Amino acid sequence: MSSDFWRSALEEAEKRGASYADVRSSEILNEFLTVKNGEPETVNILQTKGFGVRVIADGAWGFAGSVAMDKREIINTVKKAVEVARASALAKKRDAILTPQKAERGKYSTRVEKDPFKCSLEDKLDVLVQASRNLKEYSPLIKASYANYHGFRENKIFMSSEGAELKQQITWCGGGVRAIAVKNGEMQSRSYPSAFSGDFSTSGYEFFESLALIEHAEKVGKEVLSLFDAEKSPSGQMDVILTGDQLALQTHESCGHPTELDRALGTEADYAGTSFLTPEKLGRFNYGSDKVNIVADATVAKGLGTFGYDDEGTPAKRVFLIKEGVFVGYQSSRETAAELKLGESSGGMRADSPLALPIIRMTNVNLLPGDWKAEEIIEDTKDGLLMMTNRSWSIDDRRLNFQFGTEIGWRIKGGSKEEMIKNPTYMGVTPQFWGSCDAVSEDDWMMHGTPNCGKGVPGQVMYVGHGCGTARFRKTQVGLLK
Amino acid sequence: MVKDKLLEIAEKAVQYSETQGADQTQASAFVSDTALTRFANSQIHQNVATKTGGVTIKVILKKRISSLRINSLEEEDIKKGVMQAIKIAKASQPNKLFRSLPDPEPWTPIERAFDEETADCTPKFRAEKVKEAIEKAHSKSQIVKAVAGYLSTGSMAFAVANSLGVSAWARTSSANMKVTVISESGASLGFGTAEKYSRQVKDVQPSILAEDASEKSTRSTNPVKLSPGEYEVVLSPLAVATLLMYIGFGFSATAYQDCQSFVNYSLNQRVFDGKLTIRDDARDSRTLIATPFDGEGVPKKATDLVTEGVVSERSICYDSFTAEKENKKSTGHAPIPMMGFWFGRPSPSNMVIHPGTSTEEEEIAETNQGIFVTTVHYVNPVEPTKIILTGLTRDGTFLIENGEISKPIVNMRFTDSMLAAMNNIPLIGKHLEMNRGTTVPSVKLKKLRFVGLSTY
Repeated sequence: MSSDFWRSALEEAEKRGASYADVRSSEILNEFLTVKNGEPETVNILQTKGFGVRVIADGAWGFAGSVAMDKREIINTVKKAVEVARASALAKKRDAILTPQKAERGKYSTRVEKDPFKCSLEDKLDVLVQASRNLKEYSPLIKASYANYHGFRENKIFMSSEGAELKQQITWCGGGVRAIAVKNGEMQSRSYPSAFSGDFSTSGYEFFESLALIEHAEKVGKEVLSLFDAEKSPSGQMDVILTGDQLALQTHESCGHPTELDRALGTEADYAGTSFLTPEKLGRFNYGSDKVNIVADATVAKGLGTFGYDDEGTPAKRVFLIKEGVFVGYQSSRETAAELKLGESSGGMRADSPLALPIIRMTNVNLLPGDWKAEEIIEDTKDGLLMMTNRSWSIDDRRLNFQFGTEIGWRIKGGSKEEMIKNPTYMGVTPQFWGSCDAVSEDDWMMHGTPNCGKGVPGQVMYVGHGCGTARFRKTQVGLLK
Repeated sequence: MVKDKLLEIAEKAVQYSETQGADQTQASAFVSDTALTRFANSQIHQNVATKTGGVTIKVILKKRISSLRINSLEEEDIKKGVMQAIKIAKASQPNKLFRSLPDPEPWTPIERAFDEETADCTPKFRAEKVKEAIEKAHSKSQIVKAVAGYLSTGSMAFAVANSLGVSAWARTSSANMKVTVISESGASLGFGTAEKYSRQVKDVQPSILAEDASEKSTRSTNPVKLSPGEYEVVLSPLAVATLLMYIGFGFSATAYQDCQSFVNYSLNQRVFDGKLTIRDDARDSRTLIATPFDGEGVPKKATDLVTEGVVSERSICYDSFTAEKENKKSTGHAPIPMMGFWFGRPSPSNMVIHPGTSTEEEEIAETNQGIFVTTVHYVNPVEPTKIILTGLTRDGTFLIENGEISKPIVNMRFTDSMLAAMNNIPLIGKHLEMNRGTTVPSVKLKKLRFVGLSTY
């Protein structure tokens, strides 16, 4: 559809009394492949197209979306959005105000070397079948082996009544393998390169190839069997060292979500919850130790949350959330930034479909590298627990008390990695936990992709990234299982 | 009209696929018309309406299977989709375990599954209901600081056809309102919540929800800390619904066949209290998701998940693929087309706990020292084979002393096996509350293990 076509929607909204309007049309293509025990179980393609119209009328928001892209439907959808806004105004306390944003006109496209949607299905399935088969055949104790691939592409257009006109193509892909083994009634699991279906990146097919799933399948099989003979986790307080794949989720849950300004302002109170990082703490609250520097960065190369513009037309940015341990910034939208008089949006508004309303989402929330090497952190630890690859997770609705479990751990004694630990868990309260962080690595820092962040009502699932290395947290409670 | 159109689309897609050489084809056509009004800080902040439709096409060619979904109901788009699904199947590899799509079976519609008034709710209607809830909550106490929540209304319809003659269609409506109240007393905040699900919007009464949430919220300011440990608990239906949802994962044939279900390790054993009986039955009018057949057009069979505390092979919920692996018949638990396109594992979605004899008040009165839990938050499995779950209490947690709620307490984290926690249930409530995939009463547990505290 041409720009003129979508401009007519904006004109129609203004004609009906909207003081602001934007339209976002997009086409999303998902390719999802899973192989279990060497047999292809899912060869799924999902094509979604449609548009959404967001308006402010009578000082309140309205939104409507549709899949039918013809002139009549657009008029109907605009009409519905304005009607919804006027109904919203029945229960409003103040007018919706947006922080200023230059009306950008531009294009953005994810850089890819090999277009994942031009690579053959046969090649992708060959990798998955072989990886899954190798894993299954490693031992009869392995009851289920999974290998999966997910490719994503969205082509979208954003236009606003302020004059913004943006075109973007976002592409990402990735995958992983996982084994479930059972021995004497005990079940263990092991995943590579990460939990949650693997690792993902805004890259081309070369990223999936770099994961080398077939080559890693044997190590996954070996480790899952080793867990049967591993020691139970000690219980009590000790130093915990988290590798990047677990630290990514720790950062996601205990920094990413509480720094979302919609949560802090109470608009997620009914579902995901609010935040302990309330506005009066901005710039003056000690979130963690001075080793802790965390940014929301939509510009970092290959991050799963990397893009050109958010779904309000704000260009991608890098903003500090935590600087030398102090809480200094929120992830925001134009409306929430205006409410707190922040001057500008952090560029965090995204929707998971053209039919969904954009909400504040993480981009890439990264723990910046420290000055340690990962190995040095282990060598410097007298008695601790090294933990890798998430297995369970939970955090309260203000993002304070959390409990995580990982697939595998190792006891650290006298600076050396000793016996393997099964079913390790740890628990903490966010500011105390990050306050106990005394070492952050640089040499193993990398981006991790989380494709399944849930938020909002109706629920939306967003793809976000986390840059992390390895970090140590002193005197953490471990061993929560009986 | 909707019926004829959706069935025609699904059947035409199957016919077209057959002319293009597919061995077997299944097509599901669906439309969904939903709207949601969300409020926070005592005003509406999000108001959305979405109408969508689409077709899912599953093609089998020499045991090579592909699925494709498009969000269009246009004939030309569907034809293109069929051709693409065939192309993908050709490029795929065979699944040796696949035998066939399901044969047709007789089914009858479920009465009162669809309510016109609910399907046709206007934004103005929802806004007025929201306003009523906000005003009622504030009227209950001066310390009510903010009211949040949502009211959603809508309908969905879908038809399934396959090349073996399956031809089925269903239409449902639903309404859901949640009210969360935040109170402020000095520097302390209090939280309370209440929620209602129904197939009919007329059952949703904003004032009642607002009163319930307000009462819990205003009573929960200035909470005291309780030491972690094992406590008797009285779980409200909201909390029971969440825990049952996670227990329910274990009844999926996929979890069972992958040895990730507690049922694998508990066959024919009494693993729960003998008073606990859970049945999955889509035709039970007390449940929300009233579709008479599943996503493959197989009639949903009532399934006894837990019978007087015992689980068995009869507890497992199958779709046609997982059933064939065990030479069984599908129990009609394939996900419906609007759900589960990615991770389409069979699962129960109409779980009903057989009611007991007590009221929530009696459960509290029968507790010397314990904890009342309004709802639980961010529950996740730590160890699925033992149903070890972790999560936190939320929106109204109270200490029970000498048979009465005595004071609010700081939210607590539980980490415990449901096989242990649900093995000693002194009381099960007699009043059932409908939730998304469950219908449950309040329940009193003899002990639940709490391992930590939050700060509020």
